[in-house]
Amino acid sequence: MNFRIVRLETTPSTMIEARNCEPGTVVVAREQTAGMGRMGRQWHSPRDTGLYCSLVLEPPCSLDKLPVVTLALGLACQQAIQQLTGLVCDLRWPNDLLIAGKKCGGILVELHEGRLIAGIGINVNQTEFPAELTQIATSLRLVSGREHSVDELLGLLLKAVEEHLNLLRQQGPEPILRLFTQCSSYARGRRVQVGQLRGITDGLDPCGFLWLRTTDGRRILIRSGDVRPIEVEDKVWPDSTAI
Amino acid sequence: MTLEEIKQLVQVVLESGVAELEVARGENRVRIRRYVESPVREVIVQPNSAMAVASTGPAAVNAATETAATEAKLPAREAKPEQPAEQENLVYVKSPIVGTFYEAPSPGAAPFVNVGDRVRPGQVLCIIESMKLMNEIESDTAGVIVAKLVQNGSPVEYGEALFAIRPD
Repeated sequence: MNFRIVRLETTPSTMIEARNCEPGTVVVAREQTAGMGRMGRQWHSPRDTGLYCSLVLEPPCSLDKLPVVTLALGLACQQAIQQLTGLVCDLRWPNDLLIAGKKCGGILVELHEGRLIAGIGINVNQTEFPAELTQIATSLRLVSGREHSVDELLGLLLKAVEEHLNLLRQQGPEPILRLFTQCSSYARGRRVQVGQLRGITDGLDPCGFLWLRTTDGRRILIRSGDVRPIEVEDKVWPDSTAI
Repeated sequence: MTLEEIKQLVQVVLESGVAELEVARGENRVRIRRYVESPVREVIVQPNSAMAVASTGPAAVNAATETAATEAKLPAREAKPEQPAEQENLVYVKSPIVGTFYEAPSPGAAPFVNVGDRVRPGQVLCIIESMKLMNEIESDTAGVIVAKLVQNGSPVEYGEALFAIRPD
């Protein structure tokens, strides 16, 4: 796929711009004044420090398998970041990009008028964050100690997106699910909390949903919700020997 | 279960507006039923399980267990509000994927549509979120929304009816 790149100086959100674009378009902005996160949350997007882009894509698979696209895009981001910086980020199900437990990128996907709009935000060269984000956010520069080219990252990302969506298109969800399970510390054996549920993650189901084995031995399929780690030191963990 | 706990449960039922609440703890089981004029959603709470499934709102966890929570979810669906009579000539908008139903683009925003609204083909009716993929569900039909069949933030299954539309 040849992507057509539309570059903007500033925009409220590349997601809004991308809604009017044809498949194959990538809207990338130097800054966003109202970058969109999930469910109305904002994505901090200061000028010339991060990659803020939205890709307009033809759905690579049938609607029922489409959520796997979220996992495929996470894998693509992970690959591009590793190629550019040597840093291996973790994937927190379904689509947070983490380095050393802090978020360095996020993905938001919308199906709009039959087209997929994939918003990807990656913190590249930020050296500081607002006080409310310092505990949860980081950038590639803060972790690696050097600056990186946002444009180079975009080039690597588009190539990786194409590779992973082709895999999904040609072989179905299974290889993406297998890769995600290998590349995410959250897919299996991780102590987590999801809402009021606590347990240990136990792999993905064929749709990409996350299995959770709770302390009382039940196996629960998590379809959405924020997955948060429970550290070993966490004294609140009720009965770690039971699992 | 103590008398004080039962009193607290009665208070929960009164304040929450649910029609019936059943709590089981070991061998003890308490069911509190309230008679109201219109049918409202039934919530069954089982020990250590169904709270997350029964809860609603944008932060809700959409989860299903192989055992208890799935069973708990089914009765909640039988007592749907505003369920229109089956014999009416209605078009049902069904969910194309498993996910979470959102009636508005973001928390606090106005719903895409309300009961009584006239809709046209292609108009967005709701969002089903599945693994952070926001799936806009559009109407195929021109008509009037006569029922919203799912509560905001609730889990929905593949093929589950979301809206009933009376076509023009």
